[in-house]
Amino acid sequence: MMSRTEEDFELELRSLPGVLNVGITKHANGDVNVVTLIANSKDPLATRSAANQIASLYYPEAAVVVEDANRALVDIQRGEGPRVALIRADYDTSDGFCEVQLSVDGRTGIGRAGSGPLIGGAEATLAALRDLGYDVPYSLMTVTNVTNGRDWPVIVTLRSLANEADRFGIARSEDDLISAVKATLDSLNRFLSTLESRA
Amino acid sequence: MSSKNGSMAESMRDESDDDSGSAAKLISIHAVDPGTGFGGEDYEPWLFQTMLNELSERELGVGFIYSILELFATRHSLTDVAVVLVNESFGTQMFRLGGEAVTPEMAAHLNASPGVYCEPDTVPSAECDAVRTACQLAMSLHLARFSAAHDPLTNIANRRSFDEALEVSAARSARYGWAFTLVLVDLNNFKAVNDKSGHEFGNHLLRQFGFALRQAVRQGDTAARIGGDEFAVILSNAEGHESSGFTERLKGHLVALGNPVEFTIGTATSPRDSTDPGELLRMADGRLYEKKGIRIS
Repeated sequence: MMSRTEEDFELELRSLPGVLNVGITKHANGDVNVVTLIANSKDPLATRSAANQIASLYYPEAAVVVEDANRALVDIQRGEGPRVALIRADYDTSDGFCEVQLSVDGRTGIGRAGSGPLIGGAEATLAALRDLGYDVPYSLMTVTNVTNGRDWPVIVTLRSLANEADRFGIARSEDDLISAVKATLDSLNRFLSTLESRA
Repeated sequence: MSSKNGSMAESMRDESDDDSGSAAKLISIHAVDPGTGFGGEDYEPWLFQTMLNELSERELGVGFIYSILELFATRHSLTDVAVVLVNESFGTQMFRLGGEAVTPEMAAHLNASPGVYCEPDTVPSAECDAVRTACQLAMSLHLARFSAAHDPLTNIANRRSFDEALEVSAARSARYGWAFTLVLVDLNNFKAVNDKSGHEFGNHLLRQFGFALRQAVRQGDTAARIGGDEFAVILSNAEGHESSGFTERLKGHLVALGNPVEFTIGTATSPRDSTDPGELLRMADGRLYEKKGIRIS
């Protein structure tokens, strides 16, 4: 039976603009682990930020994932599989390490890597995918950020371990780390959609 | 009703069959016929009994929706079930068995219309209608209860529930001697912010302030918005000096949010100052105005 606090938590999340569904997974001890929102939001970043604020008041340790219902519809039309979603990406300036947490189908994977927010972000993303059980036969070749005066697009190049074929991904975000993570995921998008995670 | 359900179910099944791999498995739909009333014509004793059981323990809410879905799935040996509701304030809302996330692929299918979606499709439509209606009722009651007690802008307690909390705290303080401190918080020059930057920006700052206030209070304390730019906090088990710790925490959270708003507080402590709620409010108000350099008669 849900407690009144859990009920109010869910109701508050559902009150956010565009949120269609809230899924909550818990650890074995009952602590909330991952909160997944399915939203038709015009501004997913704002939705995620608001959801993070609400979660921080009720369950500070919980990770929040916002899935775009509209994008899922497009994915279905393209015949693509489940989407890997970024839960969080942190960069520790003291040791130069990045930690990236990804989620797919309610499961989460974590990867860590050094070398700053760009290379570290891309390497940590590959590590997190492997932690999720994906066999990713690619190595990181280059990570480049392009300054165009408005934002910071990052281009990631991965090289196949089998045939030296390259994959490219591009993403722009609020900072280098998030851009690097999203660009890495972008480069692997179609490849991942053809794979089943082993986990 | 049955023909409508049948055709929609078939249409959903056709769509789903076209999708290979991980597409949604929830393929059947029992949409609600706007012409029918509560739960169609069929009476569902198990549902009614569940509602009575829930009401004997607590009020209907989101938790009841999940209880109903679980019982419904057990009763009909369903592997999956989801209900789609439409609420005037919240728009479309989906709930899935076990509180699990509706996957985006499912959401694309479920978006069609309110109703109960089952896997496998073996449940009489009248029972699906009754389940949907019960869930709709629980959702509406929870929302009404929440809205009646909370300020819609900041999601903290409103004046009404603050007054109730103050009455309860004062009564306990008078009876058992339990101390609490009432803190009134007034934002400085907030009207000027609204006039200069517009009400939308003002509301943004108020929302942030409400969030900072929730972060700053401890579990068991009550934070409320009692006027346009006036807030109140009941610090439980506090004899006065705790208010400085609360003020520092609040300032820290505002800085972290980048919120430039400044505020003034006035406090009154029960039972030391009084155990009468009205008197406590007057004292805290007077001290607040004193700090602002405003004399009130």
